[in-house]
Formats: sequence, structure tokens, C-alpha cells
Amino acid sequence: MKKIIVSAVAGVAVLALSGCANKAVVSYGDATAVETTDINFGSTDLQKVATQMTDSLLLSPVVGTLTANSRPVVFVERIKNKTSEHIDTESITDSVSTKLLRSGKFRFVDMGRVEAAREQLNFQHNGGMVNPNKAIAFGKQVGAQYMLYGNLSSIVKSNKDKADVYYKFTLRLMDLQSGLVEWADETEIRKTRETASLGW
Amino acid sequence: MLKPLYSKILYLLIILTLPGCATMQFRDLFSGYAQQMEPVKFQANNGQFKQAIASTPERSVSDTNYVLALLEKGRLSHLSGDYPTSIKLFSQASHYIDEQKLKAKLQVSKGFQNVGAIVSNDSAITYVVPDYEQSMMHSYQALNYLYQKNTEAALVEIRKANLVQRAALENNFDAINDAIDSLENEVEVDWQSISDTYPEMENIVGKAKNGFQNAYTFYISGVLYEASGELNDAYIDYKKALEIYPENTYLQQDVLKIAKKLGMTDDLQKFEKRFGKYTSKNVKNDGQIVVVYEQDLVEARDEMVLRLPVYTSKDDMRFYSLALPVYNNKQQVSHVANFQLDSKALKFSQIVKVEALAAQTLKSQLPGLITRQVLRLIAKEKVRKKMSKEAGDVGNILANLYNLASERADTRSWLTLPQSTNILRTYVKEGEHHLVLNIGGKHKKIEVDVKPNRITLVNITAMSNHIGYKTINL
Repeated sequence: MKKIIVSAVAGVAVLALSGCANKAVVSYGDATAVETTDINFGSTDLQKVATQMTDSLLLSPVVGTLTANSRPVVFVERIKNKTSEHIDTESITDSVSTKLLRSGKFRFVDMGRVEAAREQLNFQHNGGMVNPNKAIAFGKQVGAQYMLYGNLSSIVKSNKDKADVYYKFTLRLMDLQSGLVEWADETEIRKTRETASLGW
Repeated sequence: MLKPLYSKILYLLIILTLPGCATMQFRDLFSGYAQQMEPVKFQANNGQFKQAIASTPERSVSDTNYVLALLEKGRLSHLSGDYPTSIKLFSQASHYIDEQKLKAKLQVSKGFQNVGAIVSNDSAITYVVPDYEQSMMHSYQALNYLYQKNTEAALVEIRKANLVQRAALENNFDAINDAIDSLENEVEVDWQSISDTYPEMENIVGKAKNGFQNAYTFYISGVLYEASGELNDAYIDYKKALEIYPENTYLQQDVLKIAKKLGMTDDLQKFEKRFGKYTSKNVKNDGQIVVVYEQDLVEARDEMVLRLPVYTSKDDMRFYSLALPVYNNKQQVSHVANFQLDSKALKFSQIVKVEALAAQTLKSQLPGLITRQVLRLIAKEKVRKKMSKEAGDVGNILANLYNLASERADTRSWLTLPQSTNILRTYVKEGEHHLVLNIGGKHKKIEVDVKPNRITLVNITAMSNHIGYKTINL
């Protein structure tokens, strides 16, 4: 009897001490593997959206004629987040613009770094450290001819047993001179999650 | 002779430690949440928000009250003007709530928690954030983002709040019916005697047509949508807010105004029939001032002890006392706010009474609460009998003491929310304006700079000894 009590006390002590400590395991995985940790916007969605959009843009006949003899200069406005999640949409536009640059058909100006560039030019002209003859002159940058912009919206529904989320990503390319939208496409993603019926 | 007592204590220990992942602090066993929060509320009432954050008890992730501590601290940081910290705390709380929703329908750990709750009290159960608190949290988070000049993130929070509000309606009606059904099979309780003694909270709940949705959240949502030019979305939210507070004249005007702008002729006709003809007071290039005025702190749940007859298996009737949470209809000293804009007096109109939502939530939880309480009585009585049989008087006294001391009503709720929130809205010329607020002898002057065709939001929080405010041009 005593033994049982002692072992039981030991068991309780172990339970209490170890509490809920989970051992952390660190490992490397495939960055493009399908990720289904939860229903929120994840890496797979980001990759899917970026790949489909750039493929569609590069393959479209209109863009083919635009880029036949020149490399148009594009600036990325932004992707408006209209979902009910905090999503870093800049990361999507980064992926899209990187892929487009890699294709060699477009050139980009980065509006997010204008201030930094201005600061550098100011330093070159007014800092007193740079040879004024070799300082880069103001007013020589190339203006964008096209604007890339879009929307990311979602519809979320859920009940006790199920959650469903639908994402729609729209991307458009506007000719800044004429104001015409030269190209547009959309990608849809649907994800559902069923609640497990038994768990810890 | 004492050995059986040891084994009893061992059982108790096992039951209390088994829930493992969700632990309850020792102080929660013997003192209610509302009681622990008294000093925090006192400091908040004096405007000492930093001290109040420091006095909020630290809770680890495994604590059953973890999410409550996040909410309290998030709100206090928001009040103290520390918006980045508030954003961090509220998003942690939001993650936690999302995780809770993801959990399986039948949870083993919950079973253990229920067992734990049966030998101790309801504080052993992980706090489930009710819908109204969730929607308030998202609204404050939206304001946090707004004050950080991140309108897009603010609108994301607004959409989250609206998802919660939509779910609130569906969930609550189901929950009440389920609870009542399951109850009738489980325990034989004399419902008549409970409803005779338990106070009707009707006058607190008020006439609110739908007590689960929160008009304040709809209104903030409407204002933000209107400011960002999404009139359609704004119209829907103003209309929902109006459904809850039909007598609010500012809401009536907003709905009429936007119905007119969007050319909703059918709606406009219908609303004009109810609220009178709409005449636009908008002069070209005028700005608007929206004042959101939050008053005091919400009342905590009280504990009430109920004498209840319980029938044992041998059909003996015995009286036991039950500790149940309740919202008492106290006479609150709420001072009338005198508000002047450039020496012109204007009146506030109520947009939410948090206590009404809280009381409504409590009402819907009541069947479940009472069941657990009755089961607990039976369990504790069994433990007492056994201990007195096996350990004599010592056991009997110990068990009685434990039973008495651990019998605590679940008084947990988010206590740093305002008691009520009121709105006021008017068109003004662009430029500097002076607002003066007078509440029970306290005086506050606010200067606002109104931009043409834009909305200026003024958020005033009045505690009993402190008035704070924040203005922003949307």
C-alpha cells in the first residue's frame, strides 16, 4: 500500500513538474512544400498567387506586344488588403515584381525607396564628402510608364463543424499615359477546415 | 487512520494537476476575479493606467485566465496611449481566441477541467471570451491601428469584428437551447425555486432588441468605412447599429444621409416615414466632428448565494447554498455630461451599454452554470461524507472548510471596458474648434483642427476621477 502511494506521489510530482512542456524540435523543410498548418493566408497561397499572376502576365498577348521591342518601366502601387486578416501584401508584390524582373521583360522603379535615394543624392551634393563632379545629378531618373496594382479580398464563413475561406486576388496593369488598363487577371483560392471531433 | 485522508488529498491533487496545460492559480481557488481586480479598477478610475497595468496579475499562457489578463492590459495600454503595446497584447489575445475556436469539439483536457471545476469552482475552466468582448477588442484594436496611421489594418480589424458579430447572433441562440436540453436530462433541479430567487436582469438588459450584437462596433466600422469612401459598407453598418438603437438621432441622420447619397430611394422613403424628412446640413467644404464618449468602467459580476433544495437519490430534500454570479441593478451614479462645441450645447446619444451585453451573456450562460454548480454540490457533499467516515472529525472539518472556501461564483469578465459609450456628430466649418466637456464638476477643454470634407474623430474616456481624450483626422 505504501509503495503504491509513494509511486502515485512520484507520478503526480512528475506530472506537475513536467507540466505541459513540449520538447521543441528544429528541422529544415522545403520552402515550396504545401503548408496546411491552419486556414489563414499562408506561404502556399502567396506562392500560388504570385506564380499564377506572373505566368498569366508574361503569357498574355498584349504584354507580348508591349515588350516586343522595349522593356517597359513599371512601378508597383500596392495590393489593397480587403480581407479580415492582417496580410503583408507587400510580400506578394515583392514576389510578383521579382519574378517579372527575372523574366527580363520589364524594368521596375521602386517607390518604397524614393526617400532613401533622395537622402543619398542629398548627401552626394551637400555632404561635402563626395567629389561634386562625380555626384549623381538630380532629375535624371526614368519615370514609370505602367502601374501595377490590385486587391486581395476574402469571404469567410464558419460554424461549429466547418470553416471556409475564399480568397480572390486581382492584379491590373495600367498604362499611365492613356489610363487604359492593359491587362488584368484574378486568382481564386478556397480553403476549408473541418473541426476534429476529439482532441486533447 | 490518516492514510485514507492522504489518499483523498492525493486524488484531489491528481485532479487539480491533471488538466496540466490549463492551470489555475491558487488565489483563484479562494477569491473571485472581480475581487482581485478591485485595485486595478481603482487605479484606472484615477487615470493611473501605468500603475493599473502593473497591478494586473501576471498570468502564464497555461493559466485559465490568461486571455483575460491580455484583454485588461491591452485596454489599459490603449487608455494610457501606448498603442504599440496595446496592439501586441490584443493580437495575442486574438490569436488565443482563434486557437480556442480551432480546438476539437470534444476535448479531453476540457473533461479534466470540468472534473477540476467540480471539486473546486468554475475558475478552473479556461475563460471563454464572450462575443461582445471579442467585438469590443477588435474595435479598440482598430482604433489602435488608426492612431498608428495604419488605416488598412484598422479596416481588417473592423472586418474581424463584423465576423464576430455575425457569428454572435447564430451561436447564442443555439447555445441556449442546447444547454437547456442537456440540462433536463442531467440533473433534477427545481428550476422554479431558482427563477423565484434569482433576480430578473431584465432592467439591466433593457429593451435592446438583440442583446448579442454591439452597436458601438457597427458605428466605428461605419465611420471608418465612410472616411475611406466605402459608402456601401458604411451604410450597412449604420443600418445595423440603427436596428439596435432605433431612437439614436445621430444614427437616424447618418442612415438618411447615406441612403440619399447612394440613391437608395426605397430605403430613403421608408426611413423618412419613420424619422422625418431628411434635409442635408452639409455646406460645401464643411468637415464633420464625431465624438465618441466612453463613460466609467463596466460593473463587475456580483456573487449571490442561493439556497436551493436538491433531491438526493433517496428522494430526501436538502437545502444547499449555491454561489452564482449576478448583475445587480445598482443605482449607478452616472453624471450627465454637458458638452459644448464653440459654446453651443450638444447632447450625447447612447450607442452601447456594455453591462446590458454582459448581463445578456450571463443569462445565456446561466443554465450551464447552474448545472455545474449543482453537480459540484453533490460531488463536494460526497467527498465530505467519505472524509468524515474515514478520517473522523478532522476529515469532516477539513472538507467543510474546503467546500465553503472554494465555493466561489465565477465573476470573471473584462472589467476595464467602459460602462457605456455615447456618440455625437455634427457638421462644422473647417479650422480650429473648441470643445468643452463638463462631467460632475470635472472640466476638460479640447481643441480640434477640422479639415474640409473630412471626419475628425474625438474619443473621450471619462473615468470617475480622470478624463482622457484622443483626436484624429480620418
